[in-house]
Amino acid sequence: MTPPFSKHRKRSATVSLALVAGAGTTALVLGQVDPTQREEDVLVYPGPDACVSAAIRTEADCRRDYAIVRQAYPEAAPRYGSLPECEAHHGPAHCLTGAVVAASATGRFVPMLAGYLLGRRPDQGLPPQPIYHHRPEQAAHAHAGHGGYCTSWGGRVVTASGGTSSSARVASSAVRQASFGGFGRTGRGFSSHGSSGHGGG
Amino acid sequence: MRRLAVGERPDWRGTARAHGFTFHTIDGAPYWDESHAYAFTLEEIERDIEGPSAELHALCLAFVARAVEDERILASLAIPEHAWDAVRDSWRRGDPSLYGRLDLAYGGAGTGPAKLLEYNADTPTALYETGVFQWLWLEEMLATGRLPPGSDQFNAVHEHLIDRFRRMPGDGTLCLTAYADAPEDRGTVAYLEDCARQAGLATRFLDLAEIGLSGDGRFIDPAHAPIATLFKLYPWEWAFADAFGGALRDTPTRFLEPPWKAVLSNKGALVHLHAMEPGHPNLLAAYFEDDPQAACLGGAYVRKPLHSREGANVRMVRDGRVLADLPGPYDREGFIRQALAPMPAFDGRHALVGSWIVGDAAAGLCIREAEGPVTTDAAVFVPHLIEAP
Repeated sequence: MTPPFSKHRKRSATVSLALVAGAGTTALVLGQVDPTQREEDVLVYPGPDACVSAAIRTEADCRRDYAIVRQAYPEAAPRYGSLPECEAHHGPAHCLTGAVVAASATGRFVPMLAGYLLGRRPDQGLPPQPIYHHRPEQAAHAHAGHGGYCTSWGGRVVTASGGTSSSARVASSAVRQASFGGFGRTGRGFSSHGSSGHGGG
Repeated sequence: MRRLAVGERPDWRGTARAHGFTFHTIDGAPYWDESHAYAFTLEEIERDIEGPSAELHALCLAFVARAVEDERILASLAIPEHAWDAVRDSWRRGDPSLYGRLDLAYGGAGTGPAKLLEYNADTPTALYETGVFQWLWLEEMLATGRLPPGSDQFNAVHEHLIDRFRRMPGDGTLCLTAYADAPEDRGTVAYLEDCARQAGLATRFLDLAEIGLSGDGRFIDPAHAPIATLFKLYPWEWAFADAFGGALRDTPTRFLEPPWKAVLSNKGALVHLHAMEPGHPNLLAAYFEDDPQAACLGGAYVRKPLHSREGANVRMVRDGRVLADLPGPYDREGFIRQALAPMPAFDGRHALVGSWIVGDAAAGLCIREAEGPVTTDAAVFVPHLIEAP
């Protein structure tokens, strides 16, 4: 057994550390471009009647989803510290004093509800959500009237051709909200010494 | 294999500070102990540890290949059903692994073959101490004439890690995560980050709580930038049970260790390995506790939970008498019974041999020494050397 494993030395020739010993510092930008980004088809309507008359989703779906969105809007809408700040994002005359919308928005400014967004197919499982105008004056110049919207957390939604079309193909991440803090809880539950848990062993 | 009183280097704490070894003392108790060292012959290392370790790892891979195609095996390991696809897909895609540590009962030439106690294949620590500080110890002991010229060490862990990172597929980036407030874990991850950078990867560390999940199923950083590859010093069984556990199946994010390591970092694997190779010289007989065959171990066995770290919930029985019964939180998922391999004792201390696998190669070893027969988090790290021929 011996010869196949034998080498002259059984240990590393050199061991050096770049970070710990402070020998090197690197500021690196991790890749932001993501070629595998997923996309999906969504529908955008100013209200339930437009959704019903388009007849892509059922009338029941259109009305149920709109009711969900109306209920979510007061708390879901983004908040701004000043009117100019809100209008810079959502366009002149597209913002309201917060107190009108929700008690929690008192003293702040929120965009008006521009409509709602739902999945093109029920099996997408996409939660319906409120949408807001996104710099409408800029969109009008750049895209000749293409509808520019954003979601409550700033995801961009641009409809295909002109304000009358309701279809958009969007990055999934624009219409499905990210969440944080979903790792670590189980291990904290195993912390047996009254201090922090740890995962190594 | 001998235990030698070699004496501490006068300024080893200063050396530790200079090399970022911040956890040599944990909660006031020593963790690094260089008053003694273990000395091996080259033959003991190569014939009894290095060779069998590579062979055991290969056997483990053969077991994973079998396990992912057999739902009864996955169920026997208490891997939750919602995680099966993540485990299977990571194996079928060939997601590479980085490292693991085989824990062996071994007492030196003439005491019989090393016996596999368990494979910490998912979140092993003691890596930095092995690869760097133990190596520095040997170099300084040689340089100051306190060890005979020609003394060596089985320890190419550092080189192997950098080489393995160099060969990793992906986009050249690596995120690393752990509990940032657990010093030993944080130290291990800092070391791995260092190795990854030396291999040319763009790295950064995120606390576990900073990891996010985008609406389209990829793991993201706090700025919502997608994470292509995530090293996590966080056991798979915990990740599976977390809120993000359900997202592991479809995510394009890749992991180190890959999800298939959950098959090996599980004491149930010891039962299946023994069933595959019942006569293997390095394997101990092992059975699930509810298997009537477990009775054949009689009154000499070790009862271990499927998942546990650092000896928690381990019960050791000899001649029908309980020698040790450690408390812990890991008592809900079932147990195995493994034939008792008496831990060799040197000057009344028990030494556990940790044999590192990096990639698929046996790369080095570390020794943890404990007063009691079960190696717990109170066990100290003791350096080793290979005696000059």
